[in-house]
Amino acid sequence: MLSFIVRRIIATIPVMGFVALFVFSLLYIAPGDPAAVIAGDQASPADVERIRAGLGLDRPYLVRFAEWLFRVLQGDLGTSIFTSLPVTQLIAQRIEPTVSLMVVTLFFAIIIAVPMGVIAAWKANTWIDRVAMAFAVFGFSVPVFVVGYLLAYIFALKLDWFPVQGYTPLSAGFGPWLENLVLPAVTLGMVYIALIARITRASMLEVLQQDYIRTARSKGLAQPSILFIHALKNAAIPVVTVIGIGIALLIGGAVVTESVFAIPGLGRLTVDAILRRDYPVIQGVVLMFSFVYVLINLVVDIIYTLLDPRIRY
Amino acid sequence: MNPPGPLPPIDESRLAVAPDLPDILPARKPRKGLLGLIRNNPAMAFGVFLLLVMLFLAIFAPFLGTVDPTSLSPSRRTRLPSEAYWFGTDMLGRDIYSRVLYGTRVSLTVGFSVAVLASIAGLVIGLVSGMVRWADSLIMRMIDGMMSIPPILLAIALMALTRGSMQNVIIAITVAEIPRVARLVRGVVLTLREQPYVDGAIAAGTRMPRLIFRHILPNTLAPMIVQATYICASAMIVEAILSFIGAGIPPTVPTWGNIMADGRTLWQVRPHIIVFPAIFLSVTVLAVNLVGDGLRDALDPRMAKRL
Repeated sequence: MLSFIVRRIIATIPVMGFVALFVFSLLYIAPGDPAAVIAGDQASPADVERIRAGLGLDRPYLVRFAEWLFRVLQGDLGTSIFTSLPVTQLIAQRIEPTVSLMVVTLFFAIIIAVPMGVIAAWKANTWIDRVAMAFAVFGFSVPVFVVGYLLAYIFALKLDWFPVQGYTPLSAGFGPWLENLVLPAVTLGMVYIALIARITRASMLEVLQQDYIRTARSKGLAQPSILFIHALKNAAIPVVTVIGIGIALLIGGAVVTESVFAIPGLGRLTVDAILRRDYPVIQGVVLMFSFVYVLINLVVDIIYTLLDPRIRY
Repeated sequence: MNPPGPLPPIDESRLAVAPDLPDILPARKPRKGLLGLIRNNPAMAFGVFLLLVMLFLAIFAPFLGTVDPTSLSPSRRTRLPSEAYWFGTDMLGRDIYSRVLYGTRVSLTVGFSVAVLASIAGLVIGLVSGMVRWADSLIMRMIDGMMSIPPILLAIALMALTRGSMQNVIIAITVAEIPRVARLVRGVVLTLREQPYVDGAIAAGTRMPRLIFRHILPNTLAPMIVQATYICASAMIVEAILSFIGAGIPPTVPTWGNIMADGRTLWQVRPHIIVFPAIFLSVTVLAVNLVGDGLRDALDPRMAKRL
């Protein structure tokens, strides 16, 4: 088990290396010359050259990549062009709202989607199944900002159940924190719920045809116990996979959801950085999100072995 | 033991013969064509219908009672929907009905182009990766790397490098979608390569190009077409997101995302600016997804069972 985890971690190194190379190239080919910007308007070409040499920008691509990578590994993601603050500091300031949003979304998505898929599979080809799957197709099709504005309009503006926009930090109390996150989390979770529900249903349908389910039934086990203990555990692998893969959807959706609900998180940081062409920030955010995504899929791989002892690497 | 004597003559009348029964069940005629589609797969037929409507709106946008979607009229700002302005006007007094109709062109073009381009590129990369052993591990590392960047983020990052234009948006979304197709195609190729008929073809002396084009390629098409429709749907959403956050097609061009971005500041008092493009976008994406589900059921029964 331990050797598997170690091997799996080592296997992510080339992947992360490629991501790093890609993200570095992004800044390398980005338009605009930092040396010219720093030198100012009155600088002569010789001055610009000198500054460029001083910054090390005249050295070959691979040398600069190696230097950059070395700094990144030490936790230095560079400095924002716009605010002159270290990128790591900017990210650290914005990380709480985004992590909160993701956690609440994951929670909602799993407690809604998994039972929905299980029940749809149990009642396959009845109207319950059809309604659940119709909902899943709609969840796929309605873009995240449409859901966001719709929910905000109904539940915040008209019914006044939740705040319209904004974010309250967890330090201000659990209640206000959660209150602000319910609508964004449901918004962000919609696609995710659709995806997980569909996979859960498909996976459960296959498992429910197995002999051991018939055995469980014939020995008189209660239906919930058959569904959620015997069947779901064996149907869990595709579900866990898609929960892991779907994190990519959540990260992309967070950028939009945070804009709609005015949450000062990493998504807002990304959008602002794009509008200002603040390349070091863009670079830092992409690198960090990718790193998190790779880590999550690593965890998913490890969960496989816990769910299914037959899987041995 | 009795010695075996001559066999008694066969009494033909006592032989049991299967009687000629009338066909109780008349042969089922599978319906084909439009009627068959509606009958066998009403959801898909509905999707096709919606898509045709959208296509019609996109092609004939100038002739459907629209005005110039970019013409400003500051005195008629933020009008509610009325007889003169079917969908109302936006903050700059532009007619939203016209803008939404012209926006259909952008969404359909982006969705279709990305689906085609990503499929072709992904097909080539997947085939090479599946067939050429030494290239496989290198290509797959690159694909893994690209797949570990969430697609919307990748598209955003690429858009940050270039100026916003429809062409650049298409390229950015295509690049973000290619890894998925390449992965799919490689997977299919790897299972096909183990099939006995492929071994047979190789044993019979089939050369590589013919092996690929005659035996491998046709079998990758069905899952790839299904994937392409999903990519089309996702590309439309990503395009709208890019426009919405200001990283996509320039704000002067009427796209659904841009119209919604314009309506953002006023959404609490003038929700109609966002509502109409939102409905069009959702309906179009839904239509593409319905077609995708239908195609999946029709082309790839194994996949249909899984999903």
